Amino acid sequence: MPHTLYWLQCGGCGGDTMSLLNLESPGLIETLEMLDIEVLWHPSLSRNSAAAHRRLQEDLASGAKPLDFLVVEGAVIRGPGGTGMFDTIERKPKKELVAALARRARFVLAAGTCASFGGISAAGETEATGLQFLRDRKGGFLGSEFASAEGLPVINLPGCPCHCEALSGTMAALATGAALELDEWNSPMEWYGMQVHQGCLRNEYHEYRVEDDDFGKRGCLFFHLGCQGPLTHGPCNKVLWGRRSSKTRIGVPCVGCTRPDFPPPYPFFRTRNIAGIPLDLPEGVDRAHYMAYKGMAAAAAPQRLIDRKTRL
Amino acid sequence: MPPTVTINAPLNRVEGDLEVTAEIKDGVVADAWCSGTMYRGIEKILVGRGPMDGLVITPRICGICSMSHLTAAAKALDCITGAAPPPDAVRMRNVLLMTEHVQSDLRHTFLTFAGDFTNPAHSGLEHYDEAVKRYEPFKGETVLEVLRESAKLLEIIAIIGGQWPHSAFMVPGGIVSAPSSRSRLQCKMILRHFREWYEKRILGCSIERIQELASLEGLEALLDEGHSSRVSDLSFFTSFSRSLGLHQMGKGHGAFICYGALELPQGTAIKGAKEGPFLIPAGFSQGGRLTEFDQARVAEHVAHSWYEDYSGGLHPAKGETRPYATGYEAKKYSWAKAPRYDGLPAETGPLAEMVMAERPLFRDLLDKCGPSAFVRQLARLLRPAWLIPVIDAWLEEATGEEGFYNSPEGIQDGEGFGLTQASRGALGHWVRIRNGAIDHYQIISPTGWNASPRDSSGTRGPIEEALLGTTVRDPENPVELGFVVRSFDVCLVCTVHALHRGNRTVLRMNRA
Repeated sequence: MPHTLYWLQCGGCGGDTMSLLNLESPGLIETLEMLDIEVLWHPSLSRNSAAAHRRLQEDLASGAKPLDFLVVEGAVIRGPGGTGMFDTIERKPKKELVAALARRARFVLAAGTCASFGGISAAGETEATGLQFLRDRKGGFLGSEFASAEGLPVINLPGCPCHCEALSGTMAALATGAALELDEWNSPMEWYGMQVHQGCLRNEYHEYRVEDDDFGKRGCLFFHLGCQGPLTHGPCNKVLWGRRSSKTRIGVPCVGCTRPDFPPPYPFFRTRNIAGIPLDLPEGVDRAHYMAYKGMAAAAAPQRLIDRKTRL
Repeated sequence: MPPTVTINAPLNRVEGDLEVTAEIKDGVVADAWCSGTMYRGIEKILVGRGPMDGLVITPRICGICSMSHLTAAAKALDCITGAAPPPDAVRMRNVLLMTEHVQSDLRHTFLTFAGDFTNPAHSGLEHYDEAVKRYEPFKGETVLEVLRESAKLLEIIAIIGGQWPHSAFMVPGGIVSAPSSRSRLQCKMILRHFREWYEKRILGCSIERIQELASLEGLEALLDEGHSSRVSDLSFFTSFSRSLGLHQMGKGHGAFICYGALELPQGTAIKGAKEGPFLIPAGFSQGGRLTEFDQARVAEHVAHSWYEDYSGGLHPAKGETRPYATGYEAKKYSWAKAPRYDGLPAETGPLAEMVMAERPLFRDLLDKCGPSAFVRQLARLLRPAWLIPVIDAWLEEATGEEGFYNSPEGIQDGEGFGLTQASRGALGHWVRIRNGAIDHYQIISPTGWNASPRDSSGTRGPIEEALLGTTVRDPENPVELGFVVRSFDVCLVCTVHALHRGNRTVLRMNRA
């Protein structure tokens, strides 16, 4: 029997779906076929009649029809005042459907930062939350004790949007029974066990503290332009976007979109500094040693980097 | 069938959550209400944030047209800072925005709109089996091809802009990247591949042939030629739409709005559709009369929206977003506000662009048959024929001799706006920066125009009006309403600022 999948969109922008449609080599439809996954419902693609969709929801919620994958995109909107009326389906709060389906699914996947941690949606007044986290606090909509029918927590695939290969790769591992190692945020190490910084073409500039303070140049974006690459877990520079490039490669500072605290309360594209050194250092780095290292690195910088001659 | 019935039928394949309530008398829609059912409060999230944060936050309003929001946000900051992007930055901004339109036009037509061709309600029609073969969700031949080719096309955005969706490569004064000649050549080759596929499989003829079309008869003659070994999707789409009667469905107010888009960069060989600064001219048209567009005449009403009341309409520079969730009571029924131009509702999208550009084919189609679900969708399906050659030309021209970025050296306090055409139509951001932070941010999205609820004078929004007179054969499967609504390419995640009352038909288009 094929694995079944139900895709639920809540408080979000649909960007994770758009990202998934870009899956190439093999593409989305071919991938689903290979993994023997039957999409019972995807809001952007399915054609089930209204009545059939309602029946499907009932059968899944009652357990009459087995559900292998529940993929949730977007944050769960609970406002105003806990009523859920900021996001309704057939006049009922959509959050009720999330709860009913999560109870039955073998695996629950949070696609994107909004579903994982609340993301942009949770920055506002809609009382939005991620499925099992609200920003960096465990709990979220389903509660910290929640486990899906296979005994797993919600598997978080953050990113704004979630990279299509993190999603397809996670589904492939779960569908085939391959090992899937999770980090402290319940995200698969394969796509979240590295920094966005790793693989950035500006790494040599970073190494020698050749830093730019305005857009449009070739230097590193960390010291002045707010780049979060060394503080953010994600595969942007490992698997690339459209298999071609990434934001940091072409000069957009990483905005830290996979982080539980995204969006941060302070402005983008401006690094908060203490004595010329970023307030937030690369993950796990000691400030005194970092200052010494950066001082020496700048002194050792080769002229070709200072002149921005090395291409990206 | 009893003389008056109410339908309750969820629909999907719209971006965002929309519910349409229709009152049906003697099998015909007598009245309709259109409502957005989700509030995310993005405009309020922006207030108090850093001056450039709109570049990161607003694309994330909508995953399907993030480049459009980025364009509007960057242009608002250009306006505030007075920064003038170099001509090649204008070219690259336009190239990426147009690339987003082209993939969106194809995905919407064949993944979203044509999905309804396979509804079992049409199984009695000639060529139904062929429709299923082409457009069956997850399986149809055209569906598979469109997915594959649109994903490849979007590599252009990855190469120049880093990723799609949700890049922030446009900044006030230009773009952050400096695409090499090799990058531009790569993009041109990707585009060339896409063009060949679009001509061969979708159009069944060259782009030039489409551009030359001047009348309905010309289109029919082209489609009759049968010169391609396989019936093109354009040909099949047209004939199947006619057998469904889509050319007689979804008329609406007959008013169109377009903010104007795709500034012609200094020194370009490309000419706009008419005199003026844009490739796609700005304008407002009602009953065939075209007038100049002035953003000062835009106002939003909330009399029927779930916001605290104010009287009449407010220009977005003075606009307010104060949610007031009354639930399903008497008057208010949508999270969408009601934008009006000179107090009038107007539809926007590719058809509005064809009207402003005065494309002869569409002028003839509108003269002969008036607006319809078919004409709206045809404009979307054919728009790439005008965009693709321009994308190619601007990729060629953007040598970067004058750079891609003129730094504004910081962002001072001030007020401005950024207007553009998103894939779905007119999009505007109205922004004020005060004390180094965002003090005011109001957005009117294309779906805000199209899926608008009633305004303070009680006038229906464009989709509400377009639904009137639609014959619904089976209230249990009101597929006709779906065609009308989807011909507007509804995207409610943008609107995010629809529900009903009584025992009326509720046609839900939501995601769940």
